[in-house]
Amino acid sequence: MRTRGKTTIRAAALALAVGTMGMATLRSVEAAQARKTPAKTPKKVAGFARDVKAVLDAKCVACHNAASPAAGLNLAKYKTEAQALADLGTMEKAMGRIVAGEMPPGGLPTAQRTAFQAWTQDALNAQCRLADPGRVTLRRLNRAEYNNTVADLLGTKTRPADDFPGDDVGNGFDNMGDVLSVSPLLMEKLLDSAEKLAREAVVVPRLFTRRYAGSDFSGAGSDREGGLYLPTSGVASKEIRLPTAGDYRLRVKARGELAGPEAPKLEVRVDDAVVANFVVEDRKLREFEAGVKIPAGAHRIGVQFTNDYYVAATKEDRNLFVESVELTGPTGAIAYPETHRRIVPFEPAKGQEEATARKFIAAFAARAFRRPATPQDLDRLMPVWQAGFKGGSFDEGMQLAVQACLSSPRFLFRLEQDPPGTGAKVRALDGYELASRLSYFLWSTMPDAELLDLAAKGKLVQPAVLRAQAKRMIADPRAAALADNFAAQWLGLRKLAIVEPDPKQYPVSPALRKDMGTETERFFLAILQNGRPITDFIDADYSYVNERLAQHYGIEGVTGNEFRRVKVPADRGGVLSQASVLTVTSNPTRTSPTKRGKWVLENIFGTPPPPPPPGVSDIPSEAHQLEATTLRQLMEQHRKNPACSVCHQKMDPIGFGMENFDPIGRWRTKEGKFDVDASGALPGGVSFRGPTQLKKIILGQKDLFAHALAEKMLTYALGRGVDFKDKCALDAAVVATKGGGYRLDSLVLAVVTSDPFLKRKGNGK
Amino acid sequence: MNPIDRRTFLRGMGAMMALPTLERMMPGVALAASAPKNPVRMAFLFVPNGINMSQWTPAAEGALVGALPSTLQPLEGVRSSLNVLTGLAQHNAFALGDGPGDHARSTACWLTGVHARKTNGSDIQNGPSVDQVAAMRMGNQTRFASLEIGCERSGLAGDCDSGYSCAYSSNVSWKSATQPVAKETNPRLVFERLFGNGDAAEQGESLARRRLLKQSILDFVSEDAGRLKASLGGRDVRKLDEYFTAVREIETRLEKFESAQAARAAAGVAAPRGIPQDYAEHIRLMGDMMILAFQADLTRVCTFMFANDGSNRSYVQAGVPEGHHDMSHHGGDPAKLEKKARIDRFHVEQLAYVLNRMKSIKEGDGTMLDNTMLLYGAGISDGNRHNHDDLPLLMAGGAGGRLKGGRHMTFEPNTPLTNLFLSMLDTMGVPAETLGDSTGKLKGVF
Repeated sequence: MRTRGKTTIRAAALALAVGTMGMATLRSVEAAQARKTPAKTPKKVAGFARDVKAVLDAKCVACHNAASPAAGLNLAKYKTEAQALADLGTMEKAMGRIVAGEMPPGGLPTAQRTAFQAWTQDALNAQCRLADPGRVTLRRLNRAEYNNTVADLLGTKTRPADDFPGDDVGNGFDNMGDVLSVSPLLMEKLLDSAEKLAREAVVVPRLFTRRYAGSDFSGAGSDREGGLYLPTSGVASKEIRLPTAGDYRLRVKARGELAGPEAPKLEVRVDDAVVANFVVEDRKLREFEAGVKIPAGAHRIGVQFTNDYYVAATKEDRNLFVESVELTGPTGAIAYPETHRRIVPFEPAKGQEEATARKFIAAFAARAFRRPATPQDLDRLMPVWQAGFKGGSFDEGMQLAVQACLSSPRFLFRLEQDPPGTGAKVRALDGYELASRLSYFLWSTMPDAELLDLAAKGKLVQPAVLRAQAKRMIADPRAAALADNFAAQWLGLRKLAIVEPDPKQYPVSPALRKDMGTETERFFLAILQNGRPITDFIDADYSYVNERLAQHYGIEGVTGNEFRRVKVPADRGGVLSQASVLTVTSNPTRTSPTKRGKWVLENIFGTPPPPPPPGVSDIPSEAHQLEATTLRQLMEQHRKNPACSVCHQKMDPIGFGMENFDPIGRWRTKEGKFDVDASGALPGGVSFRGPTQLKKIILGQKDLFAHALAEKMLTYALGRGVDFKDKCALDAAVVATKGGGYRLDSLVLAVVTSDPFLKRKGNGK
Repeated sequence: MNPIDRRTFLRGMGAMMALPTLERMMPGVALAASAPKNPVRMAFLFVPNGINMSQWTPAAEGALVGALPSTLQPLEGVRSSLNVLTGLAQHNAFALGDGPGDHARSTACWLTGVHARKTNGSDIQNGPSVDQVAAMRMGNQTRFASLEIGCERSGLAGDCDSGYSCAYSSNVSWKSATQPVAKETNPRLVFERLFGNGDAAEQGESLARRRLLKQSILDFVSEDAGRLKASLGGRDVRKLDEYFTAVREIETRLEKFESAQAARAAAGVAAPRGIPQDYAEHIRLMGDMMILAFQADLTRVCTFMFANDGSNRSYVQAGVPEGHHDMSHHGGDPAKLEKKARIDRFHVEQLAYVLNRMKSIKEGDGTMLDNTMLLYGAGISDGNRHNHDDLPLLMAGGAGGRLKGGRHMTFEPNTPLTNLFLSMLDTMGVPAETLGDSTGKLKGVF
C-alpha cells in the first residue's frame, strides 16, 4: 500500500529543486528513460546487496523493523533481491524519502544515496516495461457526473445529485472507483431521483383538480371563516405542484366590501406573472373564471388585492375576501415537451404498443447504458413497461421503463466487462468503453452522439480518430467540466467552500468566494483551450477577473459581473498569486507560510512532505497579533527542532516568498506594524526575494511540475491510484508533453493515448 | 436561511408537543401495535478535535455534586440524567505503527473499536459500528433502521488526514468493514426523507398502485445487478454487493410505507427550509430532526456528527475566530486552551438544547430523555497530544429506567470503550458478545 512518494522522478528532482543534490540525478533519470526498451521479464538489477541491503541494515532497520515498524514500515523483511523486487512500491517509497533527504535522520552520503536510487530506478523501469495497464474498479457516477449525465440524457434542468450525500475522496479526487460506495441513503436518493426524472421526462397526462381554501394562502391578510381576508393591499400565495403542463381552468370564489369610486380588484399570479384580473363587484360570494397555461412542476399561486381604499373620517373601507381558488386541468390537447418526444417520438396505434415500446426502450437504454442494450436487457425491461401499461397507459409504461433504466447498475456504474475467456490477459477497451472513458474524463458526462456513433462503427479505437476526437472535446464548451472537477480538486479549490477567514479582519462575501474559484477555473480552461504551456500555471501575465475580484486585487477599469481576460501586474500571475489558492492555504486569522509551501510541494512538485510527528506543538496562538515578534521569527524558532526542520526548511521558505499576499490574497507590504519580509533561502543556499523571484526558481523545475501534473491527471482520468507499474506510461506522457512544447493539451492527449487509459487487465476469471 | 427557519419549524413542533402523546394523535397506526409502548433509543453525538479535559472532568468521583466543570455547566438543567465517564479508551485509534493520521483513525474507530487500514484510496477497511450492529438487529421494527446526520459533508479535497481516506474522518457509522454509512447534512433533506415531500399525495395516486410499480422497478434492478455480478470479478463485485444490499434494505422499508405516511399526517410539522447559516442553529435543527424521528418512532438508532474530525471551522459566535483544529493543537498555551474550552462549551450548549428538548417531551409517565441513552463525546482526548485513552464521554438519559444519572464514573485506565457499547447493546435488547477490541461488558453503568 502506497500513500505518497509515488514516482521516483519527482522525489529525485525535488531534491534538486531544493538544492540537496546535483544535476547528475535528473540526468540519470533521463538516461534511464532513454534506455527504455521492451522486455519480457524484469531485468536483474545489479548491486542489491551492496547498494540497498547494506544501507537498509546500517541505517533503516533499527526503527523500521517487524517488531516496531515506525510509520508502519518494516524494511527488515527485504533480505534478498527477489523479496525487494516483489514489493517495489515500498522500495520506491523508501527511496523517495532518502532522496528527499528526509531519511535516514542525518542523511546519507551522496554516493550511497545515488547508488540506492540507481538500483531502485532501474528495477522500476524494468518492472513497468511489463506493461500492466491495471484494472479500474467499477466506477459509480459521482455527483457532478450524475447531474451532467441526466441533463444530457433527458434534457432536465434539475440537478438531483446536489441533494445526494457527498462523494468520498481518494487519491485526491472524488471519482475513484474504489472509494465511491453506494450507501442505503444514497440508494434511496438514486431511486427517488430516477422516479422524479422519469416523471419529468415522460409526460403521463393526469387530470388534476384541486381546490385551495383561502386560508391556505400565506402572506398578506388573515384567515377568516376558512377564507382569506385582505383588508389592505397585498399578496398572499400558496405553493402547488402540477404533474402535467397544459391549459388549466382557474376558478376563484370571492366577494368584496365596497367603498369609494371603484370595486375591489383581484389579481391572480402564477409565480411572477399576472394570469388573470377580476373586478369583484359583488358583496356576496361569486365565482370568477379564467383559462391559464401553466408548465409542469412547482409553482406559487398568488392572489393580490391591488386597490385598497380607506377614509378614516368616514370609515369608508374597501376590502376583499377570497374564499377559495380552484385549478382543473389540463384541458384540451397535451403539448408534449421535446424531452418527451426524445424518448417517445410518437404514440403507437392500437395493437402496436408492445412492439413499439420495445423499440423505444432499446433506443433509450442504448444512451442510458452508453452501449447498445442486449436482447436480454430488453427482455427484463419489458415486464416493467407492462406493469405501467396494464391499468395505466403506453406512456406510463414508458415512464416506468425510463425509471428502471435510471435505477439500473448499468446506468449508475461505468461498466467495463471483460469478455469471457479474458482471464488475466490485458485487453484493449472496446469503442463504447473508450467513449465513456473519454467523455467522463474530459466532460464529466456521457458520450455524445458523435462518440457513440464512432464507437458503433468501430472507428473510435483507431489512434488517429481517437486523437481527433480528444481535440474536438478539448475545444468544446463542455471541457469546462475538466476545470470544475479536475483542476478544482488538483489545486484544492473546493476547500474555498469551507475555509472560514475571520470575518472581522478578512471579510470575504459568498460572491467573492465563488469568484476566486471561477478565476482559477477560467485560467485553467484558457491554458487548455488556447494551446498554452503548463508553465503559465506558475507565471503568466494574464488572468480572468470580474469587477468584484478586480477590486479585491486593486486592478482598475473592470466593471460588471462578467469575467474577462486582463493583463495582471508583474507580481501577480500564475496560480500561486491567485486569491483562491492563497485563501485555501491560510488560517482564519493569518497566513500560513507552511501551508502555502506544502501546497507548492504537493500540487506543483508532487512531493508532499510527510505529516508532522504526533505531539509536536504548533506556534503560539497570539502570533497573529504580532505584538512582540513577527510570524517569521516564531517560525524560525520552531524550526530549530531537528525533527521539524527536515521538512519545514523546504516548506516554509516557499511560503515566505508569498508573504506579500494576505490570508485572502490581497497584496500587502505591511503585516501589523512590521514590513513584510518576502525573502527566503532554500536548502542548498538558493536565496530569493518576493514572489517574482520565487516563481523563477519554480519555473526552473518545469519537468518536475510536468511529471506531477501528469500523475494527477492520469489518476483523475483513470479513477484509480497511480502506482509504480504506471511509471513508464507517466514517463512517456511527460516526454510527449515536452515534445509538444509543454502544452497542457499535449498532456491531455498523452494521457488519453496512454496504455492505462486504452487497456485493462482481465480479472483472472 | 435565517434563524426564523427553525423557530417557524418549532412552532409546528410546539403544536405537536401540546398533545399528550404521539400515539393518541395517531389512533390505529400500525406502529402502535407492533412497537413497545415507549421504546428505548440510542444516539451517539460526536464532536471533533478532542476536548480541553481540564475544564471537562469533574474533580470528584461518584455523585455529581457541587458546581459542574465549566464546559459542562450548560447541562445543569439535566444533571440528574447525566453520567460523566472517565477512563475509557479506544486503543485501536492509536497509531500502532501507522504514523500520523489520528483525526481520521480515531473517527473511524470511535464506534467500531477497530484499527482502520491506512489508505487514502482503494481498500478502505474498518469494522461495523455499534449503532449499525443495533440497527441490523432491531432495524426491522422501524421504518429506518438507523439515522445518520451531521453538519459537515464528507471531505472535499485530497486525502483527509495524513494518508487516510476522507471516508474515515467523516463517518463514525460503519455498516461493514468496507462500507461507511453516509450522513445527511441538510435538515430539509432529513425531514423529507423521514416524512416524504408530499409529491404522491399531491398527485392523488393510489398508494397500492404506486407500490406495485415501485416493486416492479426493484425486481428489475435486483435481477439486473445479480446478472451483472456473475460476470464481474475482483473489487467490482464488492461495489455491486453494496448496491444489492442497499436495494434489499429499501425493499423491506417499502413494506412500512403507510406508517410513515401516517406519521407525516399526524406530525403536521412544516419542513425546514435548508441549512441555516448560523452553526448553532444548524446543530439544533439537526437535533430537532433526530428528536422528531424518535418521536414518530421512525428509527431508534441515530448517529450525529457535529463536525468532521480535523475540522478547522472558525467559531466567531463563541468568540474564537481562529480555526478549531489550530486551537486544539494548543501546545500548552493558556490562551489557546481557553479558546478550545470555549469551543467545547459552545458544543455542549447545543447538546444541552437537545437534551432539554428530549426532557420536555412526555412519553408515558416519563419523558423521551428517560427512554433514551445518548452518548456524547470525542475520539480524541487532548487535541494536542492526540491520545485516545481517557476519552471525554458523557452518557445522558435514562435508557428506559435502566440507567441512573447524576454520576461521575471512573474506570480502570485503558478500559475499552467497546465494553460500554456491549452493555448498551444489552440494554437495547440486542446483546452481542464482542465488538472491535472489547474484552467483556462494562459493569456498573446500567
